[in-house]
Amino acid sequence: MSTILIVVVIVPLLASLTCLMLPRLSDRLSLGTGLVQLITGGLLIQSLASGISHFHELGGWSPGLGIALRADALAGALVLLCAIVSLAATVYARRYFTCVETRYRFWPLWWLLSTAIYALLLSADLFNLYVTLELLGLSAAALCTIGAAKTEALRSALRYLMLGLVGSLLFLAGVSMVYAEYGTLSLMALAGQIAQTPATLVALLLLSSGLLVKCALVPLHFWLPAAHGSAPAPVSAVLSALVVKVAFYLLLRLWFELFSPVMTSLFATLIGGLGAIAVIWGSLRALTAARLKLLAAYSTLSQMGYLFVFIPVLAALPDEETRQLGFGALVLFALSHGIAKAALFLGIGVIQLQVGHDRIDQLAGSAQRFPIAFFAIGLAGVALVGLPPSGAFLAKWSLISNSLLTGQWWWMVVTLTGTLLAAAYFIRVLGAGFVTLGPEAPVKGVGVSLQAPALVLACLATFGLGLGAASLWDVLAMGSAGGQL
Amino acid sequence: MMIWSVIDILICALVVALAMAALYAPALRQRVMFFIAFGLVVAITWARLHAPDLALAEAIIGAGLTGAMLLMSLDHTSDMPREPASYGLRIGSAAMGGVLILGLMMIVSSLYPIHDGAPTLAVSQRQVESGVSHPVTAVLLNFRAWDTLLELAVLLSAALGILNLGPARRSCGHAASLTDGLARVLVPLLILSAGYLLWKGAFAPGGAFQAGAVLASAAVVIHLTGWEKLPRVGLRSLRLLLLVGPTLFVAVGLLPLLNGQAFLQYPVELAGLLILLIESAAMVSIAGMLTLVYLGGHPHANWPIELVNPKEPM
Repeated sequence: MSTILIVVVIVPLLASLTCLMLPRLSDRLSLGTGLVQLITGGLLIQSLASGISHFHELGGWSPGLGIALRADALAGALVLLCAIVSLAATVYARRYFTCVETRYRFWPLWWLLSTAIYALLLSADLFNLYVTLELLGLSAAALCTIGAAKTEALRSALRYLMLGLVGSLLFLAGVSMVYAEYGTLSLMALAGQIAQTPATLVALLLLSSGLLVKCALVPLHFWLPAAHGSAPAPVSAVLSALVVKVAFYLLLRLWFELFSPVMTSLFATLIGGLGAIAVIWGSLRALTAARLKLLAAYSTLSQMGYLFVFIPVLAALPDEETRQLGFGALVLFALSHGIAKAALFLGIGVIQLQVGHDRIDQLAGSAQRFPIAFFAIGLAGVALVGLPPSGAFLAKWSLISNSLLTGQWWWMVVTLTGTLLAAAYFIRVLGAGFVTLGPEAPVKGVGVSLQAPALVLACLATFGLGLGAASLWDVLAMGSAGGQL
Repeated sequence: MMIWSVIDILICALVVALAMAALYAPALRQRVMFFIAFGLVVAITWARLHAPDLALAEAIIGAGLTGAMLLMSLDHTSDMPREPASYGLRIGSAAMGGVLILGLMMIVSSLYPIHDGAPTLAVSQRQVESGVSHPVTAVLLNFRAWDTLLELAVLLSAALGILNLGPARRSCGHAASLTDGLARVLVPLLILSAGYLLWKGAFAPGGAFQAGAVLASAAVVIHLTGWEKLPRVGLRSLRLLLLVGPTLFVAVGLLPLLNGQAFLQYPVELAGLLILLIESAAMVSIAGMLTLVYLGGHPHANWPIELVNPKEPM
């Protein structure tokens, strides 16, 4: 019985309930909760690195009858990512929402979203995963409406909610298919049983398409730019950095642990192909986007595409060891994108808050006025494009060399084209921002706690993940996720 | 036997026909009416499939509360939405839908015979340890209580999302003597049935979700009648109302951790009592949340707190 897993999921839930009960304490309480989550996440990954595996049977019932929580290296790494990003966004949100009433409305939903993310990462039960997806979709859509008086934001939140529900329903249909075929919902019990039957194939398709809607893989991406582009900055950061990422995490679990006997190379290539289209299409749209947040949202689309390009390359790798290393690169890419994209959205939020808009052609002078925030945006750009020493550089390097190793050179072409396009759209932003407006005095000072979170995250993505990648890779290689690949 | 299969076929035909009518009836109001009827027939279908718990929930929520909500929304919708898609697109999507339905039906029929032996057996074997004698309640509140706790969180986030939107719907206030008299009969009856469903849940179909939904429908009746004399729910009470269910659930779940046991591991001898306690609190919260969903907005403009100065510093 690992109590630490309960701490991970229950602390945000309790925080949500307490913030609702005692709104006046909620600002301080949220900061404390964010810190506790970071410490817990650190302890979790540390104990996972020393070879302890975590497992908790809820209610004391064995899985099959009850529900179990478990954590392996993959889940641990993502728990840590979520803790880091949500702490930064929490510190930021305290300053971003200047109206106290908005903040009081924001915190309970914010921590419910956190609860959903952690519960999803740790759950080992297929139906429970559906419930966490529902919580994720509803709380995320509700957060999009915070502080929004504009009909446009409400409309995109509603569309986001609908799309989330469609995804969850497809997932639920898949769950019922699996339950009818195998008579159990426990991931552990299912792992050894999955066989190639018609119902299993359909279940795989339903589960995958439900999650692909939530991951916004082309052609199911149309909802993402509006939803991520019109939410408040801290919410956009978490939506782009974490919410799409945990849906992808679930896909990894399904494809490589549960349904590995059913996965064919044709299916993997199809997924990779869609990912490649997402990489190019998302980058092209980002290149022509008129607003900064829209650019960041389209960049999410293309960066999620890379994660899918990894799939056929990994599936074709011959021996166990290179596969594990390749898998580590995939997770590193996901972590790197999560942190860098959160930094980007937080940085954009500073500018939008102060200037009142985020149109790229009117950015002139912003590097002068918000040096810290703009530096953070630049650093996040370095990590997103994949320049050394960022984590994304190592991950892309591994992707390119593995695609050559397996004789699939076309994935290399996609990766290089996407990288060049990403560099182009970031240079466009930097170019616009560094235009000086003459000796205009900097306007009123922007608080440190509004700018610092973006900078810390950007540094972490660019330097931390790149230089610390070796130890992370070791932890991931130990984990069952890489092992069972 | 024969007569039942005829009835079943009729029900199946009715479900399809009502679904079509709900989609294609000429006026929006008609579609809503057909949708309510559709909910009722689906409830009967669940009953025929020996799932009385689902039948209850479908009748109360699917047909009842959703119907009331849709009817209320009609007042705010002026006319029919224009047909957005071209003729060819509609034919194409209908064909695609048809192919999907046929495929799914073929796959589902390949699943027969459904082997639900193992899980059902496991539930019935451990039933005595769960503290309740109704298997559905045992699964929802004990074996898979984590799902139910998260479902409460789902409802909470829906309610909080709605509180962010805008002001609640105004009561249309049909304070005629007829509606007033009807409400005077209905409201006590609904409250009584909620209590009955809650208590009965330990042994028979029923439980917190159904009871909460019935309570919420009592609130809907009150809202429709526009009773002015009832005291308004204050901000603090509203927050308490939403919180009591999930908070008590988490608290009961956390206690066993002190003894080094698992989260939500109730002691066997207290399980029945604890489940009743959790369900009572959950019923109140669910009723509050569903009422908010029906109201479609915040009853207090300054939710969630009375502020002296809205721009007060942190």
